[in-house]
Amino acid sequence: MRSHTYLQDIIFYTTQCLTQSAGLLLQLPQSVTAQANVLLARFWLIEPMLSYEFSDTSAATLYLTAKLSSHPVSVRDICNAYTYLWSDSSPLFRRQPSPQQQPPEPTAYTPTDSQKTSFHNRLLSLEARILYTLGFDTHVALPHPLAITYLQALEFFNHSKSEIGSLTIKYLNTALLSPQMLYLTHQPNALAVAAVYNAARDLGAKMPDTSWWEVFDCDREELGFLVVGMRSLEGWVGKMREDGKGVWEEGMVRRKDVEGEMTRRGLLRGNGDKAVDEEEEMARLMDERMATMEAQS
Amino acid sequence: MASKGKSRWAETEEDAELAARQKREKEEKKRMKAEKARRQQEALEAQKAKEATAATQEDGDDGRPVKRRRLSPEASATNGTGEAASNTAPKLLRFNGGGFGKCRSVENYDKLNDIEEGAYGWVARAKELATGKIVALKRLKIDPKDRSGLPVTGLREIQILRDCDHRNVVKLKEVVVGEDTRKIENIFLALEFVEHDLKSILEDMPEPFLASEVKTLLLQLASGVSYLHDHWILHRDLKTSNLLLNNRGQLKIADFGMARYVGDPPPPKLTQLVVTLWYRAPELLLGASRYGAAIDMWSIGCIFGELLTREPLLQGKNEVDELGLIFDLCGVPNEDSWPGFRRLPNARSLRLPSGKDARTAGSAIRVRFPLLTTAGVSLLNGLLALDPEKRPTAKEMLAHEYFRQDPKPKQEAMFPTFPSKAGQERRRRRETPNAPMRGGAAEIGAVDFSGIFTGREREEKGGGFALRMV
Ligand SMILES: Nc1ncnc2c1ncn2[C@@H]1O[C@H](COP(=O)(O)OP(=O)(O)OP(=O)(O)O)[C@@H](O)[C@H]1O
Ligand SMILES: [Mg+2]
Repeated sequence: MRSHTYLQDIIFYTTQCLTQSAGLLLQLPQSVTAQANVLLARFWLIEPMLSYEFSDTSAATLYLTAKLSSHPVSVRDICNAYTYLWSDSSPLFRRQPSPQQQPPEPTAYTPTDSQKTSFHNRLLSLEARILYTLGFDTHVALPHPLAITYLQALEFFNHSKSEIGSLTIKYLNTALLSPQMLYLTHQPNALAVAAVYNAARDLGAKMPDTSWWEVFDCDREELGFLVVGMRSLEGWVGKMREDGKGVWEEGMVRRKDVEGEMTRRGLLRGNGDKAVDEEEEMARLMDERMATMEAQS
Repeated sequence: MASKGKSRWAETEEDAELAARQKREKEEKKRMKAEKARRQQEALEAQKAKEATAATQEDGDDGRPVKRRRLSPEASATNGTGEAASNTAPKLLRFNGGGFGKCRSVENYDKLNDIEEGAYGWVARAKELATGKIVALKRLKIDPKDRSGLPVTGLREIQILRDCDHRNVVKLKEVVVGEDTRKIENIFLALEFVEHDLKSILEDMPEPFLASEVKTLLLQLASGVSYLHDHWILHRDLKTSNLLLNNRGQLKIADFGMARYVGDPPPPKLTQLVVTLWYRAPELLLGASRYGAAIDMWSIGCIFGELLTREPLLQGKNEVDELGLIFDLCGVPNEDSWPGFRRLPNARSLRLPSGKDARTAGSAIRVRFPLLTTAGVSLLNGLLALDPEKRPTAKEMLAHEYFRQDPKPKQEAMFPTFPSKAGQERRRRRETPNAPMRGGAAEIGAVDFSGIFTGREREEKGGGFALRMV
């Protein structure tokens, strides 16, 4: 049976991927992008996902974290990056273009002046909204530096630490995208331990015989939970891709897709942004929607 | 008593009644406001408790907490004040993300009086309605025309204050916003209220601080700065008006509007537009974009001097003048005293005295502070070393001989008390140079300092100073 948070999870995952892609396009250090991922997750704990366009929320969190870092980005650059990723030319969540296909015209992903202005306004109001919602708590402690420190402290007899290190970081970065929101439920030290553990196990590195994780203040139970959580994302994504083809081949999920569906089912009234019924009901209906999509595919 | 004829100053009965009614109304209004705040507080706590229990109950059978975000916006539109409280327990927000929550409204506070109001900021004394606790509310300067959004300085100030916990750093209690939460236009920091700032005290005191008092203040300052530097925070605007003192003799570092985190190694390019001119280190004046904790130590040196004399130490009229005053007090730099200073952007075109004249042009600190002990002079000389590498760190400063010698630092509790201006009346505006402003970095250009010692008494006469240094 499928979880009723199905659609929310997809929105979460795809939007976090969008943030990562924008971070790459804007050449931001991963530490900045990762913080944006965490802020976005925090924001959505409090603010309903449908309040704002998903890509706007992603852009605003990235803009904000970059602003507070030593790598600020201009509104213009952020606007260009998101317009591109949001456009039909974006490779994000689309089938690989066939070789015969014409490459897209640059106008297809270059924002017009009015788009720029409107983006700019949304970005600034959302920035303030995010800060207000988070009580101006923008501090994010990432597990990445801890993981490196732990690796240095540990002895893996038969493996190079750099190999384990890069896989560890990969686990940590992947976990940022997980709708399980592991970064909100667990402390950086526990995330670091679990990522090291997973990486070492994947590579067949021999770990110390002792309960070494306890040295880093992580107990067996928490480690077990995180090890499974971090590993499950790949399977989940794979299953999603098989299940909901439409979602993965038509670009980023947009708010209007979700809203349109909800309106059609009489969940949204008139102006299209006021929920009239319980969340529970909505979630159920959205699951149905996904089921239909699945049946069609 | 004989009934007095009514003078035009005497209150009529109507006046009295009107006054009484106004007072009643005011009290009633206050009571209502307090009641409202109390109820909001209760609702908030109830919500928290509910979420907490829900979070534990909602653990799925595999032991995983059920995490669910809300997908749709609330049915009721946001309603201004105390939104966080009044939108009571969002039904599906069962997952407690570890204490993130919306800001409360400034309406939870009652303004008592302005502390500081001017072109640069607004700080007021206020009372939290629900608890009666006194705070200082500082409004973030927001320029609605600034198209880059909320000011990074204000955001850093909040972030840094949130992360700090030290007795010599002012505490941030919470951030609150203006009543209309659909547009976040007014942002206030609710800070622990501290009765005085050092600047006002120094301006008003008839006698300077005693040597024992100066030591206590400096120790607390160094202890706070050491905490900041240990946590990779540069304050970048230390000066007496940003140092607060409470009635128990405790010093608190305030105003983190210029502060920022710096890593190790420090970021390659930092702005030079920091630190109020009179407290600005020579490397900043010479245009260094790589600088570190030593700039704060320089400011501490300037504050040290100011505590001794009640007068700011180096009151330059502009960057060039400031640099001149510095060289005059601390000596002229050369490749021995400050290796590599010539490579700083603004140093290339400086004309400085050299040769024999430069040798006599050492530090004048000893002369300027005749009453300061040898240990005191050595500390001040160290803090005001031209070469940032030669200044002591805050930790080293704490261990300095000066603090161990008699007179010993005075116990904080034995500190004299001062009338608190912040507690009662509006401040005067003062005319110190303002905090660094936005805009282009000062271009110093070609400047000739080669004659700066011609006025010095102790200098040998007849020295031609117009030698160019290569
Ligand atoms: N917590 C506080 N308690 C009492 N008074 C305070 C407090 N914080 C600030 N003040 C008073 O308000 C004055 C200005 O505060 P602050 O230095 O933080 O802001 P600012 O000077 O406006 O900022 P900036 O220096 O960035 O322009 C201080 O000099 C002090 O007199
Ligand atoms: Mg100030």
